Amino acid sequence: MRQSLPLRLDQISKSFGSVQALSPLSLEVQPGEMMALLGPSGCGKTTTLRIIAGFSMPDTGSVFIGDRDVTELPPHRRGLGMVFQNYSLFPHMTVAENIAFGLKMHKRAPAEIGARVSEMLRLVHLDKFADRSIHQLSGGQQQRVALARSLVTDPAILLLDEPLGALDKSLRESMQFELREIQKKLGITAILVTHDQEEALTMSDRIAVMSTGRVVQIGSPIEVYEQPRTRFVSEFLGTANILPGEVTGPAADGRIPVRLDGSRALVSVAADEGVREGARIRVALRPERMRIGAQGEGIPARMRATVFRGSYYAYELDVDGSDKPVYVYADEPIEAPADGVVGLTFNPRYSIVLPAEAA
Amino acid sequence: MADVRSGAVQAPGLVAPRRRRRTAEVGRLGPVWAVPVVLFLCGFFLLPLGSNIMRAFDDGQGGLTLAHYIKLLTDAYFAGVVIETFKVAIITTVVCLLLGYPVAYFMVRYAGRWNTVIVFCLIAPLLTSIIMRTFGWTVLFARKGLINNWLVEWGLVARPLRLVDTELMVYIGLAHVLVPFMVLSITAVLQGIDQRLEESAQILGASPWQAFYRITLPLSLDGIATGCILVFVLTNGSFLTMLLLGGGKVTTLSLLIYQQFTLTQEVAFAAAMGNILLLCSVIALVIQLRLVRRKGVKA
Repeated sequence: MRQSLPLRLDQISKSFGSVQALSPLSLEVQPGEMMALLGPSGCGKTTTLRIIAGFSMPDTGSVFIGDRDVTELPPHRRGLGMVFQNYSLFPHMTVAENIAFGLKMHKRAPAEIGARVSEMLRLVHLDKFADRSIHQLSGGQQQRVALARSLVTDPAILLLDEPLGALDKSLRESMQFELREIQKKLGITAILVTHDQEEALTMSDRIAVMSTGRVVQIGSPIEVYEQPRTRFVSEFLGTANILPGEVTGPAADGRIPVRLDGSRALVSVAADEGVREGARIRVALRPERMRIGAQGEGIPARMRATVFRGSYYAYELDVDGSDKPVYVYADEPIEAPADGVVGLTFNPRYSIVLPAEAA
Repeated sequence: MADVRSGAVQAPGLVAPRRRRRTAEVGRLGPVWAVPVVLFLCGFFLLPLGSNIMRAFDDGQGGLTLAHYIKLLTDAYFAGVVIETFKVAIITTVVCLLLGYPVAYFMVRYAGRWNTVIVFCLIAPLLTSIIMRTFGWTVLFARKGLINNWLVEWGLVARPLRLVDTELMVYIGLAHVLVPFMVLSITAVLQGIDQRLEESAQILGASPWQAFYRITLPLSLDGIATGCILVFVLTNGSFLTMLLLGGGKVTTLSLLIYQQFTLTQEVAFAAAMGNILLLCSVIALVIQLRLVRRKGVKA
């Protein structure tokens, strides 16, 4: 049977013509771990996946599966499983034939192939669909066949390339849980490439946030969401209100006082190592962690618009010193005063201190 | 029934005006438009075809006979010609497939912006007059032609080979003109095959060759079938290439028909041969239609 193997990328880089798609990038994925490569299109996540799969050769660096350097191996000798964005099911084969394909390529005995195929069909709840043609399946069913096909050969590592991108929203959510459950049950090492932050947060053990060919932050979903280290990460994962300011005193009780630019409001934020009195910083605040209070509380703000979003209300406010409108999410509607002037407060625990970037 | 149902959703007493189908206006003159074409086809296609079929049964004294067909299929010489015809058509088809598939594959997968150039090079022979093309080959393969000069110069042969007026020349001449039909039929289908299918096969343990053989090749069978039938039918119909490049070495039905008409004037016998050829083409066409229909059901 399969054992879960770690995956290690050692200083891999790749350029297409004059475009540097990947700056030297190193990454380690633990056995049995689901690691998400998250980033906007063109950040290098797909290039990384194609290098792991063996479809693309890195300019420098090596790929290790377990202790084995597979950089020079062609895709069919790497023992990987992969679910493609549009599933890439073989249209001239039935469901069972699609799943059996990998076993046939590995020259398994027909009896074993039959048993394995039915086992996989049960795993993805498609027992009754073995002899269906691919065209007769819904998107969600095709997705399951693709997953079964990729797992049937007991791959050391499972690669997921935007696996749920083609499904509609409700199906995507249920598949996120199902996929995650199967991955955990089999204990298989998995790499998930996605541009959907929710998918990455829901499904993975760790997230590597990528931007312009680099990994900018790596950590558990809670870490990268609650403690983003750059403005890019804070804004790519969820929404963040960014307010520049200056540290006015020493840290005490895990809090530091910050005087915000523009509004001149004095707020207390979570202490961050390496931030000294007098330092220029930026405070990032999640809209769902902020509260709208009466005028005079916290940061002065002026209401601009309210949007009902179903499960919550989104408020758009103007705050002096912020180049963009500030958003606050609330579970219940808020009565705005006639002049629209309110005060914003937040729990310092959930504030994020970012360095003040030049320009 | 329909009235009951519409009554249920409409206010009582209100009857929605029935919409006129727009197609009806266009279609009102429908069959009338087709009359000129039908008349033309009757006069210049069906009538000659029918009379040709009848002519094949003409015994020369106003009676009917099967003698022409019997002669064609039992006489050793003519039966040989029928077999030769199929041999040439099949070999040409296979040659075009072997030459054309790699070209089509390269065009779709790797050519990128060079695609247009390749397509132009492919159809260039079709834009050239057959006389130019044929004599071009003759010049190349002549005793003192370029090919023989090279062969002798490189020491591959001691004396110039006799290449003109051989079977080989006929096949080269036919493949030259017919390969584009094969290539274009196959590219049309290959373009619709996602390259990631081959990648999925490779991830699953298939070598690049296996991925091609198991995935891309079976999926492109429709294109192969279309190309093969086109080339087969076109080879059956061509006689100038055999006449000009074969030097009498290759005699096929179409060439024989030409000779029967122009030299021996045995019109009835030529008609019988023509009908045999026509039957073959119809059979090929039916096979193609069946293949296409099967694909239509699948998609």
